[in-house]
Amino acid sequence: MSKNRNAAIIGSGMSEFSSHREDVNQPEMIHEAVIEALRDADIALEDVDCLLHGNMELFEMVHQPDMWHVLGDGARGKSGLRLTTGGTTGITLACAADNLVASGLHDVVLAIGFEKLQEGHTTGGITNMADPLWGRSLQTGALTGTGAQKVIDEFGEERAKLAAMKYRTIMDEHAMRNEKAHRRLRLERQYIKETADNSPPLVGELRMIHMCSQSDGACAVVFASEEKVRALGANPAWIVDHETVHREETMVFGSMLSTQRAAAERLFARAGIANPRGDIDVFEMYDPSAWWGVDWLRDFLLLEGDEHLKMIENDEIVLDGPFPVNPSGGVIASNPIGATALVRVAEAAMQVRGTAGAHQVSKPVRRALASGFGGTLWTVLMLLSKEKPERRVNTHG
Amino acid sequence: MNDAFVIEGKMALPYQYFAGAVGSKFLVALRDEKQILGVRCSRCGMVFVPPRQSCERCFSALTEHWVRVESTGEVTGFTVVRYAEPYQPKKPPYVLALIKLDGADTPIAHLLECGDPGRARIGMRVRAVFAGERRANLLAIAHFEEDPAGTQEGHSPARL
Amino acid sequence: MAEETSVPERIVSRQVLAIPQRFSTGPVMGRFLRELRDHKRIMANKCPKCGRHQLPPREVCAVCHVEATGWEELPPEGAIRDFDVVYYASPDPLTGETRQVPYVLCWVDLDGTQGDAPLWHLLNVENLAEVRRGVRVRVVFADERHGTTEDIRHFEIIREEASPGAGTGAES
Repeated sequence: MSKNRNAAIIGSGMSEFSSHREDVNQPEMIHEAVIEALRDADIALEDVDCLLHGNMELFEMVHQPDMWHVLGDGARGKSGLRLTTGGTTGITLACAADNLVASGLHDVVLAIGFEKLQEGHTTGGITNMADPLWGRSLQTGALTGTGAQKVIDEFGEERAKLAAMKYRTIMDEHAMRNEKAHRRLRLERQYIKETADNSPPLVGELRMIHMCSQSDGACAVVFASEEKVRALGANPAWIVDHETVHREETMVFGSMLSTQRAAAERLFARAGIANPRGDIDVFEMYDPSAWWGVDWLRDFLLLEGDEHLKMIENDEIVLDGPFPVNPSGGVIASNPIGATALVRVAEAAMQVRGTAGAHQVSKPVRRALASGFGGTLWTVLMLLSKEKPERRVNTHG
Repeated sequence: MNDAFVIEGKMALPYQYFAGAVGSKFLVALRDEKQILGVRCSRCGMVFVPPRQSCERCFSALTEHWVRVESTGEVTGFTVVRYAEPYQPKKPPYVLALIKLDGADTPIAHLLECGDPGRARIGMRVRAVFAGERRANLLAIAHFEEDPAGTQEGHSPARL
Repeated sequence: MAEETSVPERIVSRQVLAIPQRFSTGPVMGRFLRELRDHKRIMANKCPKCGRHQLPPREVCAVCHVEATGWEELPPEGAIRDFDVVYYASPDPLTGETRQVPYVLCWVDLDGTQGDAPLWHLLNVENLAEVRRGVRVRVVFADERHGTTEDIRHFEIIREEASPGAGTGAES
């Protein structure tokens, strides 16, 4: 299979991210993101051919939200699809938008992810994802301490805990530079240990401070064909490729498939990326907790041993460092779940387009990577570039 | 041998829905002043009841132009509900009607009490009967009833 | 509105949504749950290709994607592979009621298990310091069993010095 034509992101918008948005209902919150995205892309609603809409019903228990949200999202009279794939929903929307534009079916696609987690019970909603006959009575949403234990087992308690909190603190430093971020805590590096010790334990060594937030918010991203990019004179972030890897088991660890590593291996092989840290300039990772952020860095970048810990210890992942991770502050800072993985794509595109403002990385960005996480620990990866991909991307048939 | 059987389950979770600033203004006026508010789109002229923040047609912001519409109106569509299930507002049979209030361009759905459900007609003039208790939802209006004397004589919504 | 109040009221509608559900076990999970209920037996199914067990059993091997047709009984004893001490009081999704914390979840490799197929359940333990990987545990079955997950009440730590039959499980 190959793409018929290239697709690019030409604009994005986000609502305010917050733990509470009593001031707006769901379509009104989405409207904020849509208006900003259209303005950023410098297009009108009439220019949009198709809307993609995604979140998870159990978080708000509004059935067919795409129907109700026509009031605010601009879908009236347009083609549309609704997608919901768990935590990956947002980046699945981006993959679908790429497919719809690259296939030639639509010229301009608006992808919208949202969640109003304040309106439901996040952990209860996630728990109902589990098999009703088995895991549902045992699962604790997305909360588990096994990810932390894995890092502790391998690198020792002291080094592992310091790395997790260093990662957490760097994410907060980034969030402090992103005015849209929800949790901006002003964490200080000299108090790393005290901050962790004073944070309520959730499960095992996973504490509140390590965990992603529960946010209300929406994100909208405009995708356009290369013909449209030219006609509009847009500032594009081109989509090089995307990859999705699933697995079936939810909570079996150990030797089971790392979907992070598998997705990276396949995507990088197709894109000719031999040295991820050198060939990619910035990474927006869906990091549900500091522990998983630390652990998955190794898999996503195809590293071995303790190279990923050294990257954190040596400040390589900071905004002005050689390999910035989550200049936005990541998921630990802001997590409106149905929007979260689309925010990763939007933030990666902002870095490529040079529109990230106060959290724009200092190095030039030629390629940016975005990831999504969800369901039974599955992964979606998307690679963006400043340069228009020269050859049509050949994906495995 | 087929070992399959059925297990009874239940899913129970707490939820809340925020009306937002626009929806709250509408519901508070309905509850406290028995007034029905809408918004007018300055571009296409439509008066939306209940109010909304933006026009779904032209996407322009609406909340600068609040209006008050009448509590009388006309049935634009209806159905007779004859089956019973636990979540219904009342015991069937009953009439669920679309009612365009005088001064509004969009209908609201509500209960219509007109004696025998067979009497319901499109074009029937109706008026709101407010509930005795104060409620911050559309059931602040208990139901609509027939208003035989009522006529639709060029109602224009009052600006607020 | 002639006058705006300084803090406008925000209307919110609150409710607990409770939806009754009915789940068909299908033949594979159905056999597993029937064996638990009727015979207090833990039956794993087995992949004919890679030989790994699956607990609870599923129709298809999660790794090889072939029908996992074989069945084997596994003993109700094994060693803790992983565990979670849960401090976060989440609602039980089946009832909406908040759970008592802390409690312990564990993944147990039952003796003789092939591959990655730990049995996941609660661990009943007073002293959290006793919870470690490798600790030997046994399944405690519920007295009244209905063909559900709760037919296994929990795991408990096997104490070598305890007299045989001191546990509440195997004989009940």
